[in-house]
Amino acid sequence: MTPSTPLSTTACTAPSADDIYATGLRNQWHPVVPSRFVAPGAMRRVTVLGEQWLLFRRSDGALAMLADRCPHRGAPLSLGKHLGDRVACWYHGVEVGTDGTVSSVPGLPGCNLEGRKLVASLPVREVGGAVLAYFGDERHPEPVDLALPDPLTDPDADAFLCYAEWNVPWRYAVENLLDPMHGAFLHHESHTMYDGDTTAKFRIRETGRGYFFEKTDQRGVNFDWVELCRTGADWVDLSIPYPPSAGPGGPFGIVGMVCPVDRERTGVFFWRYRRVQDWQRDTWRFLYRTVIEERHWEVLEQDRVMLEAMPADADQRENLYQHDLGVVRLRRLYRAQAEQQAAAG
Amino acid sequence: MTTAPWPYLDVHQSRTHEPTPYELKLAATLEEVFTKDGHELADVVRGLNARQVHAPDGAPWTEESFRTEMKRLGA
Ligand code: FES
Ligand SMILES: [Fe+2]
Repeated sequence: MTPSTPLSTTACTAPSADDIYATGLRNQWHPVVPSRFVAPGAMRRVTVLGEQWLLFRRSDGALAMLADRCPHRGAPLSLGKHLGDRVACWYHGVEVGTDGTVSSVPGLPGCNLEGRKLVASLPVREVGGAVLAYFGDERHPEPVDLALPDPLTDPDADAFLCYAEWNVPWRYAVENLLDPMHGAFLHHESHTMYDGDTTAKFRIRETGRGYFFEKTDQRGVNFDWVELCRTGADWVDLSIPYPPSAGPGGPFGIVGMVCPVDRERTGVFFWRYRRVQDWQRDTWRFLYRTVIEERHWEVLEQDRVMLEAMPADADQRENLYQHDLGVVRLRRLYRAQAEQQAAAG
Repeated sequence: MTTAPWPYLDVHQSRTHEPTPYELKLAATLEEVFTKDGHELADVVRGLNARQVHAPDGAPWTEESFRTEMKRLGA
């Protein structure tokens, strides 16, 4: 233990490991909202990692993400006016460009705020219909490399994004994905996870980018394995068999990501994908829109209902067993990284 | 700008329109054909025609017309 340091007198104290663990890891990319939530010429206020941000899309489609805080006296820029390539604060009209530079102070032309980059702006990318942003801390402002989830770049795979907002801490949503065994119980009455053994042995298999958590004795029947991938963003990949009614193309996969909104809230991103081409692709897409999407949604709602009902101290009073190794590994990883980021901050 | 309501929970995020009765019937029949008759294109065309579920113009399906219709509905 290091002796406690005196409280900082500035408003901006570095977050503790507990803060980071609760509100989301820094120095990586996170999904924010679906791209369609910010139309050309529109803006949208979003909360991510417990902070307020403004997504701003120019009419030509270019997207920017700015701190939602006017550099003058701190009013939310999101209450301001979209001026095409900049936003004008509603309070006193200060104008801020998409890179965070004050372009004009209408009340006092020539004021020394003009031309200064006073608003934080984050690197953004749009991937598979979602906005991803890089959240660096002060020591790591430059974005880390982002290797995109391979199913989202594979020309032979086709994906639909499903986005939902859950009142759960972000870690619970990720832990749920590293817990394949719940499929055989929670989702037993579902179109895809009705089958398979309700007992299993699991193992962890390390990979260059994360690890697999998988059943040793069953594959391709239920939710039997999951891969955690840490490639600049954290995501999981998993596969679940479809019943014959879903037609040719084999199982569907899920690429899952989460947006840590704040301590209690999470945005979940599920890309359901399938390796299908030609008429098989078109037919799956038709069936997905018409009948399958709704069944997928019911499965996801089972997760939401369960996770939202978990007590706040759920992860402090547990009795874990072999099936929870994937979750334990995940927590150790995230906890260590939170400690490390707090120590460096 | 109004603050977006929380939570966003929308069952249908992939649709461009509410399915028509024809689309609903076609989807249900396709599921039945896939379950009972097989996954080949020939199985699908035969299965739909055997159940008298035709394209909007009333003509029996051919492999070509089925591909074209799926492209329209699934693209
Ligand atoms: S607070 Fe924004 S212009 Fe004054
Ligand atoms: Fe689940």
